[in-house]
Amino acid sequence: MGETNEKAVQNTQEGNWDDYIKAYYEKPASFKSWSGYDLAEIYTPEHRPDENYKQNIADAGTYPYTRGIHSNMFRGRLWTKREVVGIGSPADTHERLKYLSQHGGSGLNTIADVTYEMGLDADHPWAVDEVGLTGVNITSIKDMETLTKDIPLDKVSWSLITASTASSVTMAQYVAVAQDAGYDIGILRGSIQNDPIHFRYCGFRPACPLDLSIKLGSDVMEYCTKNLPKWYYTTVNMYDLREQGVTAPQEVAFGFGIAMCYIDELIRRGLDIDEFAPRFTFYVSCHMDIFEEVAKIRAARRMWARLMKEKYGAKDPRSMQFRFAVHTAGCSLVPQQPFNNMIRIAYEALAAVLGGVQSLHCCSYDEPMCLPTEKAHLQALRTQQILAYETGVTNVADPLGGSYYVESLTDKIEEETLKVMKEVEDVGGMEEAIRTEWLDRQFESEAVKRQKELDKGEKLVVGVNVFTTEQEKTTPLGVQKVSSNSAKQQVAEVKELKRTRDINRLNDAVKRLRDDANDSKNVIPAMIEATRASGTTGELLGTVREVFGYPYDPMETIESPFNF
Amino acid sequence: MKKKLNTSEMVNRLLAGDRRSAARLITLVENEMDDHHEVMSLVYPHTGQAMILGITGAGGTGKSTLTDHLIGKFREQGKKVGVVVVDPSSPFSGGAFLGDRIRLQSHSQDDGVYIRSLASRGYLGGLSRATYDVIRIMEAMGNEVVIVETLGAGQDEVDVIHIAHTCLVVVTPGMGDDIQAMKAGIMEIADIIVLNKADLDGADRSLRHLQGALTVGSFEEGEWMPRVVPTVSAANKPEDLQGIDELTVTIAEHQAYLRKTRAIERVRYNRVEQELGLIFKDELQKIIFKGLKGTGKKREYIESIIEQRKDPYSVVEEVLNTYLLPGE
Amino acid sequence: MVMKKRIKVLVTKVGLDGHDRGAKVVSSLLKEAGMEVIYLGMFQRPESIVKAAIDEDVDVIGLSYLSGEHLIFTPKIVDEMKKNNFDDVLLIAGGTFPAEDIPTMEEMGIDKVFRAGSLTKSIVDYIKDHVEE
Repeated sequence: MGETNEKAVQNTQEGNWDDYIKAYYEKPASFKSWSGYDLAEIYTPEHRPDENYKQNIADAGTYPYTRGIHSNMFRGRLWTKREVVGIGSPADTHERLKYLSQHGGSGLNTIADVTYEMGLDADHPWAVDEVGLTGVNITSIKDMETLTKDIPLDKVSWSLITASTASSVTMAQYVAVAQDAGYDIGILRGSIQNDPIHFRYCGFRPACPLDLSIKLGSDVMEYCTKNLPKWYYTTVNMYDLREQGVTAPQEVAFGFGIAMCYIDELIRRGLDIDEFAPRFTFYVSCHMDIFEEVAKIRAARRMWARLMKEKYGAKDPRSMQFRFAVHTAGCSLVPQQPFNNMIRIAYEALAAVLGGVQSLHCCSYDEPMCLPTEKAHLQALRTQQILAYETGVTNVADPLGGSYYVESLTDKIEEETLKVMKEVEDVGGMEEAIRTEWLDRQFESEAVKRQKELDKGEKLVVGVNVFTTEQEKTTPLGVQKVSSNSAKQQVAEVKELKRTRDINRLNDAVKRLRDDANDSKNVIPAMIEATRASGTTGELLGTVREVFGYPYDPMETIESPFNF
Repeated sequence: MKKKLNTSEMVNRLLAGDRRSAARLITLVENEMDDHHEVMSLVYPHTGQAMILGITGAGGTGKSTLTDHLIGKFREQGKKVGVVVVDPSSPFSGGAFLGDRIRLQSHSQDDGVYIRSLASRGYLGGLSRATYDVIRIMEAMGNEVVIVETLGAGQDEVDVIHIAHTCLVVVTPGMGDDIQAMKAGIMEIADIIVLNKADLDGADRSLRHLQGALTVGSFEEGEWMPRVVPTVSAANKPEDLQGIDELTVTIAEHQAYLRKTRAIERVRYNRVEQELGLIFKDELQKIIFKGLKGTGKKREYIESIIEQRKDPYSVVEEVLNTYLLPGE
Repeated sequence: MVMKKRIKVLVTKVGLDGHDRGAKVVSSLLKEAGMEVIYLGMFQRPESIVKAAIDEDVDVIGLSYLSGEHLIFTPKIVDEMKKNNFDDVLLIAGGTFPAEDIPTMEEMGIDKVFRAGSLTKSIVDYIKDHVEE
C-alpha cells in the first residue's frame, strides 16, 4: 500500500499520467482472428443469408456433425481427462501414472522419449545421453512389463503415445505383455498415436521415411481392425503440425491430407471404409483465439463427415464422426511470467470443451521451462476438473452453435481449409507435397511469420511484447529434474538382457519378421513373437528397415547384429 | 574478440594442413583485410596442383547431394577434398542463409574434408575473385581436389564456374523447356551434364533432348564433347542411388583428356588471364576511389554528368589522367 | 578501403531432439538482419559442431535446445571448443530452460541465454554488440 502511494505521488509530481491515460483509452491492437482473418464489428442474420440448418449445421449427433458427434454430448459422458506421462525409466513412469490415477485422472497416457521414437535401444550410442529425458524408452518386453505392472489392462483405457514407425513395436510390446498376462486382447481399450507420416516434421525424419511410414502405420491399423476392435489405432496428429506455426485451416487441411494417405493404403489392402474408419481419431491443437478454435473444430467435424461420405462412400455414421483429442497449444506458452500460462491453458481448454472434445490434455504451466513437475501436472488436471465440475459448460451440446459469429467463422475456416487442400492437390497430393518438401517450406515460412507478428507487436503476448517485467530468477513451483541414475540403470539392464537371452529363439523370430516383411505381409504378428523372444525395439525396426532398403540404424552408427 | 595471429605464421600452419589457419586466412581474404595481398603471395607458390571441379545448377536439382557422393568417391581414392559452397546473399539485407552443409553431413567427422560456405555478395572484388583466393588457400592446405558448388544463376556465378578444370551442370527432368532455353549457356560451360533425379517421370525424354542438343553443337576433331550422365543422387536407400560411379569415371576421363591434349594448359591460361583482368579492374578502381576520397570530387563529377555539363567518358578520361598518370 | 566484415553465425541443434522450429526461425531472421548464417540443423554431435564452426571461421555459435539436453551437451561442446583452441567465439543458446539453469549454463561457458519468448531484436542487438567488427 505504502509503496503504491509512493509511486502515485511520484507520478503526480512528475506529471506522469501518460501511462494511465493511455491504458484507460486503450483499444484492441488488432481486429483479426489468430489465423489472420478480418472480422466484422458485429455478426447479424445478414451474415447468414443462405442458412440451411439441416444441411450444414444440424443437431449434435446428426450428419454432418457440425455440432458434435453425440446428441447429448457431455451429459452422456464427460471427456477423458488425460495427462501425458513419460519420465526417466519405465519404473519412474509407472510411479507417476499411479500418482495421477489416484488423483482423478481418467486415462493413462504414456509418452515415448526421443530415443524410443527414433527406434533406438536404450544402449544405442546416440541414446545413452538422452534416455528418459522427455518420455520413456521401452527397449524390450521387460520394460513394457515394468510399465504396466499391477494395472488391470482389461479395465483401463491406455493411450500409448508413440507416433513414429516405432508405434508398430509399441503395439507389439503391449499386445505381447497383455497376452502373457492372460488378457483377451479383443477387449483391450485405448489408443496408440501411430502417425509416422507427420512425425517426420517433429524431427524424426531418419525413423520415418515416407514409404515405411505408410507401411508400418497401416500395418498397425490393419492388425488392430482385425484383432483389437475396441482400440483406437491411430491419432492423426494435427496438433504437432499446428505447433510448427501454421494457421488453423492449414492444421486441418494438412491433417486431413495425412489421414487420407493411410485411408488410401487400407482401402488398397482390401479393407472396407466402414470396417476401419470408426476407429480413426485425431489430435487437435487449441490455441489462444477461443472462437476461432471452436470454429475450427466445428468446421473439421463437418468436413470430415462429408469427406468420408462423399469421397470414400462411407455408410456407417460412425465412420463419418470426427473423434478428437485436444492438446492445448504448447507453443502459446512462454517462460516470461510463468503463472500466466495457467490462464492461457484454461482458456484453451475452454475452447476445446466448447468445441465438444472427446479427450483433453492440458499443458502444464511449466512446459516452456522444463518437464512438468508433479505440482504443475496436478494443477493441469485441476484445470480440467474445474472446467468439468464448476463452470457449467458441460450442460448443453455445442453452446456456441447458432451464434452468427461462430457460424460465420466456421464457414470461413471451412472455406480456407478447402483452399489449402486445393493447394496440396495442385502440388500432386499429400505424398508428393511431402516428398518434394513443399510442406516443409510451408512450415518454415509460417513459423517466420509468427515470430515477425510478435516482433512487430501485431500479436500481443503478455510478458513477451507487452506488460513485460524483469526475468524471474526461479521457477515458481520448482523444476522437474530427470534422475540420470534410473536411465543409467535401464541402459545396464538392456545390456544385461542382450547378453543373457536365448539367441537361437531370437534369431528364429527375427528371421520370421524379415521374411514377413519381404513377403509384404503385415509384420505385427511377427513383431509380437520377436518381442517375446526378447528382440528389442532397435532390432525389430532395424530388421524391417533393411528389408525396405534403409540402413539398419536410423542414425547410421551401428550395424545389424544379425548375420543370416 | 578473436585473437590476432601473425600472417606468415598462419600461412606456415596452413601449409602443414591446419584447418583453423585455413579458415582464418579465408576470412582474411574474403574480407579483403590489409594483409590480403601478402597472404596470397605467400600462398601462391604452393598452388596449381589440385583438380578443380565445378558443380552448378538451379536450386533443387540436387547439387549438394551429388557433391556429397563425389566427396565420398574422392575420399575412397585417398584424396583430401576441399569444398567451396557458394550461396546467394539476400539483396535486401546482405545476409545469407547457408544451409548446404546439412546435405554434406556424411563427411562431418572426416578430417580429410574441408568445407567452406561463401555468400555470393558483398565482395568488393566480386565473387569470382574471392573464390579464386579461397580455392588457392584450399590447395595450399593440401587438398588434392577442390569442388566449387554454385547456384546456376547470374553471370557472377557462371564466371566462378570458369575457374574449374571440369565443369558439371546439373539439370533435372521436368526442366524440359528450361533446358531448351538454357541450351546455349549449358553448351558453353558444361563438360559434363548431369541429369539428376533420373528416376522421375520424363527422364528418358529429357535425356534424349539433351543428347540431341549436344550433337547439334560443332566440335573439332579430338575435342571434348560434353556428355550426359543420368544420376539419382538423393535416396534414403543406398540401393536406389544411380550413376555416381559412372559420373566419377566420366570426370576422370575428362581429366585425362585435359592432360593428354594439353587442354589443361589452355584452361590454366584462360583462368590466369581472367583473374588478372579481375584484379586489375579492382585494384585500379581502388586506387581511383582512394584518390577521390575526401576530395568531394566524386559528387562533383556525378552532378556534372547529371546536369549534362559533362559526359561519362570525358569524366573517366579526366579521372584516369589525374590519378593514374600523375606524371604527365 | 577495408570492407566491413559480415557477422557469421552457426546455428545448430545437438543430439536427438528434433524441435527445430526455433533454430530455423532464428536463422532466417538473423539473415534478414544482415548476418551470414551457417545452418547445421539437427542431429549434430559436439565434435561435428566445433569442426564446422572452425571450418567456417564463425563469430558466433548458436545452440538451440528444447528437451532438457542443455545441461548434458553444453559442457561437451565447450570442452570440444577448448580442445580445439576455438573458445574465442561467442557461444549463445536459445530454447526452453528453467530460470534456475541459466546461471549454470553461463558457468559452463554460454555467453548469453535466450529463452523462448525472446524477441528477434534482443538477439540481433546482443550479437552485434558483442562481435568485434
